[in-house]
Amino acid sequence: MKKFWQISLYVFLFVASILWIYPYIWMVLASFKPANEIYGQFLPSRLTLEHYRFILQAADQMDRPFMLALGNSLLISVAVTLGVLVTSALVGFALSRLYFKGRNMIFNFIIFQMIFPGFMFIVPLYVLIKNLGLIDTRTAVILPSLVSAWGVFMFTQSFRAVPGEYLEAAKMDGANDLWIIARVLVPLTSSTASIVGLFTFIGIWDNFMWPLIIVSDYSKMPLSVLLASFNMQYGSYLGPVLAGSVLQTMPMVVIFLIFRKYFLQGISMSLK
Amino acid sequence: MKKRLKTVEAIKGWSLSGMYLVYTAIFWGYPFVWLIILALSKWNFLTPRKFIWFDNFIKLFQDELFWRVFINTFNFMLYFIPIVIGFSLLFALGLKRVRLFRTFFILAFLVANVSSGVSYSIIFQKLFAVNGPLNDLTRALFGVTIPWFSSPQLATLSIAIMVTWKFIGYYGLIFFSGLQAIPQSLYEAAELDGAGKWTKFFKITVPLLNPSIVMVLVLSLTLTFGIFTEPFLITGGGPMRTTYTFQMLIYSTAFQKINPGYASSLAIVVALLSYGCVLLTRKLVEREVELA
Repeated sequence: MKKFWQISLYVFLFVASILWIYPYIWMVLASFKPANEIYGQFLPSRLTLEHYRFILQAADQMDRPFMLALGNSLLISVAVTLGVLVTSALVGFALSRLYFKGRNMIFNFIIFQMIFPGFMFIVPLYVLIKNLGLIDTRTAVILPSLVSAWGVFMFTQSFRAVPGEYLEAAKMDGANDLWIIARVLVPLTSSTASIVGLFTFIGIWDNFMWPLIIVSDYSKMPLSVLLASFNMQYGSYLGPVLAGSVLQTMPMVVIFLIFRKYFLQGISMSLK
Repeated sequence: MKKRLKTVEAIKGWSLSGMYLVYTAIFWGYPFVWLIILALSKWNFLTPRKFIWFDNFIKLFQDELFWRVFINTFNFMLYFIPIVIGFSLLFALGLKRVRLFRTFFILAFLVANVSSGVSYSIIFQKLFAVNGPLNDLTRALFGVTIPWFSSPQLATLSIAIMVTWKFIGYYGLIFFSGLQAIPQSLYEAAELDGAGKWTKFFKITVPLLNPSIVMVLVLSLTLTFGIFTEPFLITGGGPMRTTYTFQMLIYSTAFQKINPGYASSLAIVVALLSYGCVLLTRKLVEREVELA
């Protein structure tokens, strides 16, 4: 009897897992199906690249440059991720390894900052970006996310846990601060760096509301906004819309699968 | 010599933190001050701003649309929170009882969590469409077509289902690590005392899982107040404004009705509402748990 329940549990979990991945499977299959088979038929009679060709070529003439948007998304996400990693490591180093008056005050302020939800700042940030003359630029998407209180917090916490002897030894060898950060502290806390990098990249790649507000020039949009606008206007072009969705979501899935170990660590870390 | 080293360290410390503070002053402090000024002003981004003190807030509480969205938000929670907690808990309980393939199950459910907001909204819009695959299935099985996104209560439920799809993997793992922390000896002791399955679940598992339950509740509450992409892309707030969310209201007030003052006061009220819900939940649900 016990065995029967065990087996049914496995069957149930397998079915549920397939059901959970099903939207992905359907999306990927549909993006390769001939247009008239997307609805009504699960397995395609033949595979075609026409939808991808459409969004990469024809959509340009419809004022929806997908390739450019993919490039914009990459540029924005890489710039923000690098910015967050570098600034978090530097400030985290100062707050954990240098002694100066006011250090704890700054750290407490960073925790205080994290209480406020991002949506409170959207309207006044728009005013700021407008005053800086940055409306309709990629810089306007990058700049407000370039430094992260959460990133600094994470780096400070994990740098604190590194035993002092490592730093003393490096200092004896005449290493300067930058060398210590890059060659001693970060490698010893590589899971923190991966977690911060991963969550930052995914968060900014998926960011929708802010670029929607700030960018209206199609050639400067990240993929998320361009895809949404394409879906709103040309929603009946089912194949191309789904091919675009594959382009938008697959980088996140691939990165997740590569870094899944850190992702799981990140989740269990956020529980503490 | 030692004193000089200390000064050098302090200078380095302050210049690195100074970088952070300057950036924060510009991109956090300045908007923060502006948020409060705007909330007390009438403005259209162009003509000179006018102080009107608390008029925005007074108008807000008389605004029919505000109350509509207020009701929508709690209506959504009524579906979303029981569903997401029930299924995440089931997922975690199932996960605890299997040895093989555990990582596979976790990844299958977590991959939904890293889907892009825009993409998964589009996919569910097509999957749940009147002529989409899901309705093909229900037509074949029961001969009915379900208007997932065009009937008021169903549309709210559909969005709750979508968000549940996305977050079960994440919340399930939170429950799972909570379950792992409960010592097996407690269950064994209870069995010796003749406790049945349900007694064990309600007298041991649920009380000891309290920290995880509070955490998932807090996460799903804050999430509810932040929903934007799904209804914005799929229903546009309809039918009859039943899926209109606070974020959509802030967005349309500020950038379509060009009323940033009103939108700022709304943002403050929504943040306070969200805190209020979190505090209330903690007060009602949170218990001291001590694991020996």
